[in-house]
Amino acid sequence: MNCEDEMTPRARMEAVLQGKEVDRFLVSPLILNFASRSLNMNVRDFCTSGKNMGDANIACFRKYRHDIVYIFSTTSTVAEAMGTKMYFPEDDAPQVDTPFIRFRDDVKKLRPVNPEKDGRLPVYLEAVRRCVDAIGNEVFIVPVIGAPFTTSAALRGTEIFIRELYTDPELVHTLMRVATQSVKNLVDAYVRAGGVPVTVEPIATGSMIGEKHFREFVLPYLKEVYSHIRSHGIPGVLHICGKTKRVIQCMAESGADILSVDNIDLLDAKELVGDKVCLMGNVSPSDGMLKGNPDTIAGMVRDCVAKAADNPKGFVLATGCEVPIKTPHENMVAFLEAGRRFARLPIQWN
Amino acid sequence: MEVCTHMEKSDILHKLAQSVIDMDVSRARELAVEAVRCNIDPYEALMDGLTRGMDRVNELFEAEEYFVPEILLCADAMYAGIEVLRPHLPKESGRKKEKVVIGVVKGDTHDIGKNLVKIMLDNAGYEIHDLGRNVSYAQFVDTAGELNAGLVCLSTLMTTTMDGMQVVINDLRKTGIPAKVMVGGGPLSPGFAKNIGADGYAKNAAEAVKVAREILQGVPLHPLMFKTPELVTIKRDRGGMR
Repeated sequence: MNCEDEMTPRARMEAVLQGKEVDRFLVSPLILNFASRSLNMNVRDFCTSGKNMGDANIACFRKYRHDIVYIFSTTSTVAEAMGTKMYFPEDDAPQVDTPFIRFRDDVKKLRPVNPEKDGRLPVYLEAVRRCVDAIGNEVFIVPVIGAPFTTSAALRGTEIFIRELYTDPELVHTLMRVATQSVKNLVDAYVRAGGVPVTVEPIATGSMIGEKHFREFVLPYLKEVYSHIRSHGIPGVLHICGKTKRVIQCMAESGADILSVDNIDLLDAKELVGDKVCLMGNVSPSDGMLKGNPDTIAGMVRDCVAKAADNPKGFVLATGCEVPIKTPHENMVAFLEAGRRFARLPIQWN
Repeated sequence: MEVCTHMEKSDILHKLAQSVIDMDVSRARELAVEAVRCNIDPYEALMDGLTRGMDRVNELFEAEEYFVPEILLCADAMYAGIEVLRPHLPKESGRKKEKVVIGVVKGDTHDIGKNLVKIMLDNAGYEIHDLGRNVSYAQFVDTAGELNAGLVCLSTLMTTTMDGMQVVINDLRKTGIPAKVMVGGGPLSPGFAKNIGADGYAKNAAEAVKVAREILQGVPLHPLMFKTPELVTIKRDRGGMR
């Protein structure tokens, strides 16, 4: 399946970032916990051991040769490292069990993370280092960080937290400040480990909050994060799933160079922000990757490419959100094959 | 006892509705007290005041002017008002309420979407039985059977748990429970809902009310036509976490 590629994923991404000529644009399904399948591991074993997480991602890359290797288990990992208790299902992504900030006063106990020590961050760091050692010459290793709003929600409990946008904005800003510092600490640690960190902010989705709250509580902190990330000489990538049409303008103002989107028509996204940012998306994880078949997936890939390949600031073919862990192997192959076929420049439709 | 004029009454009802729209819990409570003091029919204060306000909130949500925080806080105001009116409301209203069982399916603890649907269906006049989150398949089936529910609402945000919805639907059908099923949640699509045999799919909480009304239109109230013990076997088979 890989015979048409002329460049390694790493060389391709470097060329894209430097604005040089490439053989095709990037094809990057959001393979996260799905990587566990490449070593027939359950998700709990995968995400609680740096060796497992690293080795599974290495095996997964050797199997699929996708353009970006992500290191991720849940968006709440930073909150976990700050004290939120997680629940680890045997074969599914971890979920928040007990938020750290139960009472308003608990905020006094809140500290920015030490990535070498706190929670499962050492697991992630080990996974990054293993991948960098084994396949870092061929592909960028990209750990995924839960951004400040998502981290704060997991520290406080999402439903309480979003009420407090109205009822206790001061507490929200306090959480956001500490969460932002945690994210920056983690960015530094990942860069030291040889990774290229990206951020996800799903709690700030347009399915949850409106533009007013995004501007007041999310945007200032995202700007701080991307200015920090860019000071390392790497691009800012922002993923928000769910509906984003009402907040995508704000997303484009955050300083991120690439926006990864889910539930929005790529034509709308292109029209709204395509002159400012590279777009990334958005084959449906459930209807496409999980429930679709190779033909329907090829159709969805083609549809995305037709809509966004001419985006002024570039396009990365991806899934709208995480590839479901039960995605059939042949569906993943179909996504990558269709991607590589349609992604050749100039676009060839046959 | 004070009796207010027609003008005062319509003013209080209007302000009650507005307090819900404004997410103003203490104002909703004050106005409900005021309504009781002025001897306004509490049922009217509920329907033409608080509920009407929440209907407007639903419209604002659909128009994407209100989002999740707004709905939660509007609902707080509505319930604060209801709390005041409740002791004054007749115990049994004339019309029998249709029963709705709702929950997040096993394996998933994300329940904000479910809570929004619950608020909206409650406001629309259904009797809601909320099973919470991470609910075993058997509990949906058992509760629907025990209550003779008209509608079962299944929610999930995760691709890993969406297939559990089909198990619940199959078990409901197998046991002859006539409840209709509505599904919703981030990864779902109308196509998926159709494939698993759901009677309806709602893409958000505002739409859930419309879909529920459509599904339940012309559904006669069923007499209890099955025995609960038969359901116990399903519970054993499915086990699972609660």
